[in-house]
Amino acid sequence: MDDHLTGILSNIGVISFVALSAYLLLLTGEISFGQQAFFAIGAYTAGIVTAMWQLPFWLGLGAGAAAGGAAALFVGLPTLRLHGLQFAIATLAFAEAVRILFELFRYQVVRDGEPVGPNGIEGFRNIRYIFEHDVSATQFMLIIYGLLGVTLFGFFLLERSRLGVAFRMIGQDGLLAAAQGVPVFRVKLMAACLAGAIAGLGGGLYAHLTTYVEPAIFDVMLGVHSLAYGLIGGLGTAFGPLLGVVIDIGLLESTRWFAGYRMIVFGGLVAVLLIVRPRGLLDERLVHRIRRLVSRRPPPAPTNAAVLGEEPS
Amino acid sequence: MEAMLEIVDVITAYGKIEALKGISLSANRGRITCLLGPNGAGKTTLMMTVAGVLKPRQGSIKLEGNELVGLSPARIVGNGVALVPENRLVFPQMSVRENLLAGAYQRNSSGEVAADIEQMYARFPPLKERREQLAGTLSGGEQQMLAVARALMSRPRVLLMDEPSLGLAPIVVKEIFGIIAELNREGVTIFLVEQNAHLALQVAHHFYLMEQGRVTFSGTPGELAEDEVIKRAYLGTRRSAG
Amino acid sequence: MIPFIQTTLDGLMVGSSYGLLALGFALIFGVMRRLNLSYGPSIMVGAYLGTLLYIQFGAPTYVVAIVAVAGSVMAGVYVERLCFAPLGVGAGVASMVSSFAIWMQLEQASLLMLPRHSYPFPSLTSGELLSVGPLVVRPDYLIMLAAMLAITAALHLLLYRTRFGLGLRAIIENSVAASLSGIDVRSTMLKAFALASAIGGVAGFLVLSANQQVTAMLGMWATLKGLIAMMIGGLGSIPGAIVGGLVLGVIEVHSQTLFGPQVRDLAAYGVLFVLLVLRPGGIFGTAAVSESAAHRGGDRWTTT
Repeated sequence: MDDHLTGILSNIGVISFVALSAYLLLLTGEISFGQQAFFAIGAYTAGIVTAMWQLPFWLGLGAGAAAGGAAALFVGLPTLRLHGLQFAIATLAFAEAVRILFELFRYQVVRDGEPVGPNGIEGFRNIRYIFEHDVSATQFMLIIYGLLGVTLFGFFLLERSRLGVAFRMIGQDGLLAAAQGVPVFRVKLMAACLAGAIAGLGGGLYAHLTTYVEPAIFDVMLGVHSLAYGLIGGLGTAFGPLLGVVIDIGLLESTRWFAGYRMIVFGGLVAVLLIVRPRGLLDERLVHRIRRLVSRRPPPAPTNAAVLGEEPS
Repeated sequence: MEAMLEIVDVITAYGKIEALKGISLSANRGRITCLLGPNGAGKTTLMMTVAGVLKPRQGSIKLEGNELVGLSPARIVGNGVALVPENRLVFPQMSVRENLLAGAYQRNSSGEVAADIEQMYARFPPLKERREQLAGTLSGGEQQMLAVARALMSRPRVLLMDEPSLGLAPIVVKEIFGIIAELNREGVTIFLVEQNAHLALQVAHHFYLMEQGRVTFSGTPGELAEDEVIKRAYLGTRRSAG
Repeated sequence: MIPFIQTTLDGLMVGSSYGLLALGFALIFGVMRRLNLSYGPSIMVGAYLGTLLYIQFGAPTYVVAIVAVAGSVMAGVYVERLCFAPLGVGAGVASMVSSFAIWMQLEQASLLMLPRHSYPFPSLTSGELLSVGPLVVRPDYLIMLAAMLAITAALHLLLYRTRFGLGLRAIIENSVAASLSGIDVRSTMLKAFALASAIGGVAGFLVLSANQQVTAMLGMWATLKGLIAMMIGGLGSIPGAIVGGLVLGVIEVHSQTLFGPQVRDLAAYGVLFVLLVLRPGGIFGTAAVSESAAHRGGDRWTTT
């Protein structure tokens, strides 16, 4: 496969993780500007494990995911009881603080006569596990998509589980959910942990894909982008954020002829799209309709879920 | 008897759920028309639709022949229809006087507005006493007066009132209904939503009953009081207001 | 003791620009109950237009100032029309994301105008330091402080002595009740947006002229500073915005003096985070946005 295409697809695959991470929190009704922090934590952790401690790749990924989840738990405890916007800003503050901390973080060991490890602003180079173990670009892409597939399967199971229903109930109306006996705080914390782990996993993959990470990558822009992917692609299904990533990265690459006007065109398109479809392309309504078509069940009577969060039309 | 406010076949929906399933009714000039009905019947939805806060999916609402549907709430106030909303909705951080000024927002003659404010103080003495007090610190009954006064500041021809007795002590409710009767005597057309049928029977000239988004009864107070089903549902038990 | 006072004074000066930025944010948030992520980029558009005139045509400083403010207002109106007006109350998050998309649009448009990382910007004074007893004051910063005070006073008059201000305050408290009182909510929101953008434009101009340069980071910087200052002072609170800005300025300058620039930023975020966790309403503790209101986009005629 063409190297360029492999590169784009791998990029799409990896960014999808942080998009899914923001999406998971959005399901519970929480806006997070800070998922890039867990992406960063996962990247650095995985890099340290493989490049510095010379441990196997899967261990690195696992550590990255675990670190992301743990950090999310740590941050979620004090912040999840905050309401909407305050929570969003708190995540922003946290993520930027993490980024700055990585600018100050230095931890190096000597391997083969050269220092390896995070070096403050200069970042963390030579995360070369993949290359040292003769994994081709195409093979790594398949690994990325394999793990993405597992994650999507996890979402598939989640949507059909009680926990998934609890997520969406809280997302629609937290007070109502609490009144129905859902332990709102605990469920949100669980969502945050999972989201952190997913982002951490993606971060680990990212670090090994590009072999080099630096704090500047994990900035506010990445965070807001991740959020935007779900809101553009649609909140009805885990494929929504993926669609958002494909549109952004895929479109960005393909609209090369727009050259310097890429963001202007893309930004305008997104704004117009959101006027027409505020819940994204694959929104809950469309997904619901697709599911009914697929299963050919008779249409159910309109439920409360259709009423909540809707404007009178 | 001519219709001042004519509502024809209005359907208002929230997403897929139709709260108003084709409402037709009218409020006659100089009369008090009362809309009864249980919680969730759609009465507030109807009021909000007439006031322009909600847009109906179809139907027409005419004030003396002029179509109101599609106008912004501010334009509807400009046309002479003012709503005293359910739960008062006063501006809590603004003083009584400022709340009244807000009601007069569209009026340009500051002299006339000042004169009207004095009139409100005369009609509602507690408001005069508390004119510089923050509206959020007023009692329920005082807030209701303020909400009515604020609506009156726009010199409406039709006054809509959504459950003015809600949450108020019986004495206060009596006072409010006294004011309603007084306003009507002065010529204001009133369209009133109430859950408390007993109270309404004392002032209203015509009744509608609304259940689950439809009008199920239209008639005079006498007809209302005679209808067995209605009697049992709305007049049987002597429950206190709100 | 004197160095401490000097640093605090410097912090207050810097903080006045943050306060103005936060003021614009708070005005928009108070009225719309939604976050405008294009706020900084709008200011950037105006500043860049001014810079363009300065370096291409040698425009005098007052022209640059006027263009910077006017440009910011134009961009702000554009954002309001595209991202906020069409989306209504129920769409909540969508307008924020839309404003982010336009952020990218405005930033790229600015960079197309002037692609390099930094450009010179005209200054208001000769830069000579003033001495006030044992303390030293930069005149540019003094102008910033004066402007902040003047604008705050003018805004206060507007809000409390004019009909427009009454309508604005009514909308901030309850937009549905305001429309029922006959206030044209949409038109007032547009004007508030323009006003906020103008204030932001002034803040941007003053900061840039004090630094005598403009960089490509202006959009992000203005948005972040304004946001943090507003949150410290209290979400949507107008006096809070000023106080938050001043507090942020003081914290930043002290941190920088003690520990250097990175810790300066870290301290700002750290304080914000701790403040949000301990006292989410900010210093002024107002406008605690309730969960359901946030979800339904501030639709406030239901009682729950």
